[in-house]
Amino acid sequence: MENMATRTQTAQRPNGSAQGKICQFKLVLLGESAVGKSSLVLRFVKGQFHEYQESTIGAAFLTQTVCLDDTTVKFEIWDTAGQERYHSLAPMYYRGAQAAIVVYDITNQDTFGRAKTWVKELQRQASPNIVIALAGNKQDLANKRMVEFEEAQNYADENTLLFMETSAKTAMNVNDIFLAIAKKLPRNEQASGASASGQGRRLAEGDTGARAAGSCCK
Amino acid sequence: MDEEYDAIVLGTGLKECILSGMLSVSGKKVLHIDRNKYYGGESASICPLEELFTKFSAPAPDESYGRGRDWNVDLIPKFLMANGQLVKLLIHTGVTRYLEFKSVEGSYVYKGGKISKVPVDQKEALASDLMGMFEKRRFRNFLIYVQDFQSDDPKTWKDFDPNTANMQGLYDKFGLDRNTQDFTGHALALYRDDDYLLQPAIQTITRIKLYSDSLARYGKSPYLYPMYGLGELPQGFARLSAIYGGTYMLDKPIDEIVVGEGGRVVGVRSGTEVAKCKQVYCDPSYVQDKVRKKGQVIRCICLVDHPIPNTKDALSTQIIIPQKQVSRNSDIYVSLVSYTHQVAAKGWFIAMISTTVETENPEVEIKPGLDLLGPIRQKFVSISDYYEPIDSGLESQIFISESYDATSHFETTCLDVLDIFKRGTGEEFDFSKIKHELGDEEQ
Ligand SMILES: Nc1nc2c(ncn2[C@@H]2O[C@H](COP(=O)(O)OP(=O)(O)O)[C@@H](O)[C@H]2O)c(=O)[nH]1
Ligand SMILES: [Mg+2]
Repeated sequence: MENMATRTQTAQRPNGSAQGKICQFKLVLLGESAVGKSSLVLRFVKGQFHEYQESTIGAAFLTQTVCLDDTTVKFEIWDTAGQERYHSLAPMYYRGAQAAIVVYDITNQDTFGRAKTWVKELQRQASPNIVIALAGNKQDLANKRMVEFEEAQNYADENTLLFMETSAKTAMNVNDIFLAIAKKLPRNEQASGASASGQGRRLAEGDTGARAAGSCCK
Repeated sequence: MDEEYDAIVLGTGLKECILSGMLSVSGKKVLHIDRNKYYGGESASICPLEELFTKFSAPAPDESYGRGRDWNVDLIPKFLMANGQLVKLLIHTGVTRYLEFKSVEGSYVYKGGKISKVPVDQKEALASDLMGMFEKRRFRNFLIYVQDFQSDDPKTWKDFDPNTANMQGLYDKFGLDRNTQDFTGHALALYRDDDYLLQPAIQTITRIKLYSDSLARYGKSPYLYPMYGLGELPQGFARLSAIYGGTYMLDKPIDEIVVGEGGRVVGVRSGTEVAKCKQVYCDPSYVQDKVRKKGQVIRCICLVDHPIPNTKDALSTQIIIPQKQVSRNSDIYVSLVSYTHQVAAKGWFIAMISTTVETENPEVEIKPGLDLLGPIRQKFVSISDYYEPIDSGLESQIFISESYDATSHFETTCLDVLDIFKRGTGEEFDFSKIKHELGDEEQ
């Protein structure tokens, strides 16, 4: 009868021996419309980039794993589904997020200003030990740069954020920023499990309860 | 906003958010607006606690209430039936992945001033203090009959036609007394009054089956409650709608629903902006001239720092007070959730008492519920009008939901939603279709 969706699971090999921990984390993307949030996710999860990225219908919940030593870190990635546009993101979006990537577009100063507002919003709304990364996206357009690297780096340092300039187009620093976040997340059983969920259960068809644990690195 | 939409949805209460999600999933271009700057309308959970006190013009809470941000207080109390319509909707739309639930620990029924656990299986029936020895046997036989009953297999009906004979007839067939009928109809079949007695028995049998199937799903009780409060539900369906292309605007006043030739809706105006549309879906508060008052519901939010007495310290419970027990025409519902659901600060509980208003003095009506709670630290009473649309919306293409009723669960909520969807689109909502499409969302 008990089938709580445990967030920290131990993967089982067919022979039953433990293979290492799987830690699951909720990661949210934030930032102004059109800075490349969905593109970063698409690049990280599927290795793709679309020049004319349509609003990503039907795909605002993706998962991807990265491996660190004996641990598989599984990111449950929440994209905004466009709800950032008219400032209508729901509190549910931040709820229980253990990591966030706040994205701006290096060719647009306004989006950097907005990114700072999102960081403040996270500091106010999200859990206190959330890991926040700042991504200066569209680095491939550095010739049209409006936000200096140093300016962003200084801001990130002052607020103890991870910081990288990225390009969803060329894939520069995309995996790296997720990996850097994974390294900063607590990987002991308790920290990753309990803080993530409110300790309820997920519902599933036929009451299979928790989804099967994902397999480790390919 | 100056665009054309298939449908504009006004209000982000649960019903409107489910509708918005279903419409977007069905390929409609949807604009979803709320005049408030938060999601949920009447089905929001209030956070922080200070805001709840302000809302009811009470002096600010003292420090014994812990951090205000740890509270998420529902305005309308309800639970989900584990095997009910809403859970089906959540699972088939994939919205369940945004939410976590807990089973409600205890389900009780009131009899003669005391509460007893609702007996649901043969074993519990035999142990229950609700019935005498012989009555227990009869009730057990009745439960077995319902359990074995198959609507498509007349052999299981045992010489009783449930489609024509009424429920009173079935009770009589098993010789169940008034008291047993009372908790069966109200605590198992979840009827609010006794009209069901003269309806075909099949309806009640189906409801008792829903109760026991729900119970079988997660144990303890047939009810579920979402972590962080019921306000998570509309947010989850809003996200579904957004994922399927729905556009969201909060904090946007609606000044006019613009109607064209033949009384058909053509758009919605906010200030000087007009968004064109073919249809509007909304709650009664957006169309006060198109709804009529059907009655009133009283709801009382009680903040307490202990579980309800005589519930084995359950951290969540539902108690049903059947109408007849307290000489009324409609049941009184008591529900309790706690800090373990992330809706209250550590050590705190939120009890809610609700019922349909029957007298000039509704606060007196809920007294049997209040008396069960033990000491109450803070009490907030609200009496809300209950509205229903004056027409089906087919002519105007303005489809209006009913206000949230006094029932303790979401079954009527879902029936209203599915009915509106059908009126609006001319089709039943196709559950199987979406689920398939969502299949490849996760890689
Ligand atoms: N040149 C360039 N364009 C990008 C990059 N990332 C996203 N874009 C483009 O920016 C536009 C908006 O991207 P999208 O991912 O939809 O942004 P979102 O609204 O933040 O999710 C699309 O046309 C993308 O193709 C990038 O790194 N470089
Ligand atoms: Mg996007």
